[in-house]
Amino acid sequence: MKLLTKTSLNFISASVIFFLVGSVTMYFSVRNIIAEDLQNRLLQQQKEFFNNADKNKISDLTSKLVFIQITDKEIDYSFSDTVLIINDSYILYRKLQFSYLLDKQYYNVSILQNQSQSDSLIKKIVIMNVGFAMLFFIIMFFVNRHSIKSALSVFYSTIRKLEDFELSKLQTLSLETAEVQEIKKLNEVFEKMATQIYNDFEAQKEYTENVSHELQTPLAIISSKADELMQADNLSKEQMEQLALLLETTNRLSKINQALIFLTKIDNRFYNQGISFSLNDLIKEKLHLFDAAIQEKNLSLDLDLLEINHVYMNPYLAETLIINLIKNAIIHNISGGVLRVHLSGDILIISNSGFPLSFSKNDIFKRFVRSENSKKNLGIGLSIVQRICELYTFKITYSYISEHQFKIVFKNK
Amino acid sequence: MLKKHKILIIEDELELAKSTVSSLKENGFLPFHAKNLKTAKKFLRQERFTAVLLDLGLPDGDGISLIKEIKSTEIEIGLIIVSAKDVLEKKVQALELGADDYLTKPFFFSELNARLKSVIRRFNLEDNQQLTINEITLFPEEMRTLIHGKIVDLTGKEFGLLLYFFSNPNRVISKTTLGEFMTSSYVDYGFTDDLVYTHIKNLKKKITNSGGDDYIKNVYGVGYKFTVS
Repeated sequence: MKLLTKTSLNFISASVIFFLVGSVTMYFSVRNIIAEDLQNRLLQQQKEFFNNADKNKISDLTSKLVFIQITDKEIDYSFSDTVLIINDSYILYRKLQFSYLLDKQYYNVSILQNQSQSDSLIKKIVIMNVGFAMLFFIIMFFVNRHSIKSALSVFYSTIRKLEDFELSKLQTLSLETAEVQEIKKLNEVFEKMATQIYNDFEAQKEYTENVSHELQTPLAIISSKADELMQADNLSKEQMEQLALLLETTNRLSKINQALIFLTKIDNRFYNQGISFSLNDLIKEKLHLFDAAIQEKNLSLDLDLLEINHVYMNPYLAETLIINLIKNAIIHNISGGVLRVHLSGDILIISNSGFPLSFSKNDIFKRFVRSENSKKNLGIGLSIVQRICELYTFKITYSYISEHQFKIVFKNK
Repeated sequence: MLKKHKILIIEDELELAKSTVSSLKENGFLPFHAKNLKTAKKFLRQERFTAVLLDLGLPDGDGISLIKEIKSTEIEIGLIIVSAKDVLEKKVQALELGADDYLTKPFFFSELNARLKSVIRRFNLEDNQQLTINEITLFPEEMRTLIHGKIVDLTGKEFGLLLYFFSNPNRVISKTTLGEFMTSSYVDYGFTDDLVYTHIKNLKKKITNSGGDDYIKNVYGVGYKFTVS
């Protein structure tokens, strides 16, 4: 529920309750006040009656609204409601009854006061009050709504900016200035946080670069010395073999280092900016890199690229993904085997002939897991593939039914 | 005898610089070494270099800043960046600023020789046309090969290999190095040895079949050497 809806709902429900209780209370209190007033008027008339009775004859005191009856016993004065039929219409009256003693004779006196007018008065007062209160609530509702909305507009723009925030793009958050203290504070905190995150990100980027540099340089020295030594004329076969091994191992170490740095970079989302391009073209282009290798292993290539498919991703990562998969399918292929590359819709399937895995199928994407007979492989290529797929939430699956098969669905989950 | 090309090596790792200097000397160059930007600038004012090997991470600044200076001289100087930073943006930045090539450390000297010679060919017309070793003549631009004046049909990979050997005469080149070269470093380990073996076998056969000498010698099964007496 939106904040605005929530506050509006609260406001409306509170108003309705207050309104109901208020109107009922008001109705009864106004009625009480008016009834009291009526009683006072009746008592006043009673007093006048007593005054007049002293001066005039009792029969003269009877009027339209004063009734006098002779009675033999005394009664207490009392108020009651009564209805008179005047011109065929019922009219409600308030009645005061009391006894009057004159010449040892009791008279029962009733004084009536019209109540219907006060009843309509109550109605009018209540309606007017209810009307004003309702108007007040409606105005309050809209004023409140508007002020919350305008206060929140900055808040919503902050949310939008946070959603668009990308680390790899150099940018400050530059949020709108808010009038409301709390949102102002919130924006300040966000801006501070963004700067902090960006600085940390930069520091980490620099760190990975430095690690790469610090490790690659000594490796370069080892490699260059081994290379230099190899050029000597007087080396035995054994010495030569050892130097070649040294060179090869150094090269492998450097590649492992590079691959691990690359994995870290993917994890740290260094390669965020993407473009839209044809997967078809990319696969064709990258397959050419392996022409010699395919020829060498005498592989038959089963290429089936159905449609021009456009994917949105970082081109360097896409390239790495395709190269690693093709490479994997060639390295683990058997001489004279098949290499299939099928693309249709969003689905890319790369499969190859080869012996079943010597390890669990679940470990295939794990780092440094490789089969017995390919110890020379780095064992990082498929980890990189998986990590790239994870980054874009593409689904990748591996299966083996007479052929090794990797299937990628190029669709963001 | 052709005049020796002067090469400036700007590198702060002394040991690496020493090896590079001796390797370049052996390959017929006249190398100079500067260990920081300041010395490099002094050398650049005093000498006329054919090419510069520039390391990016130097003690007194980023080598990137020197690219413009090197490239703004009247006579074109070939420029190869040699860096431990295998960062795509750095490469793009360096190449956009005018660098001719980008080599990532650790590198093989045979690779450096080949790239260096390729850059030099680009800027020195007298070397550009053709390369000749005895009866074999290569035309790098057209990827054409003549042996005893007759055209030999080589595949792209074979021509690349032969050109690579031409850039590294009398040098032992390990199988690892050749594998890296042939697969453009895309393929990590596994099958490059077989790949190298097959291509070299084919290349040797084509050269000898056309009446050329068998220059490519196997060295103890660990590498190959293009022997020229």
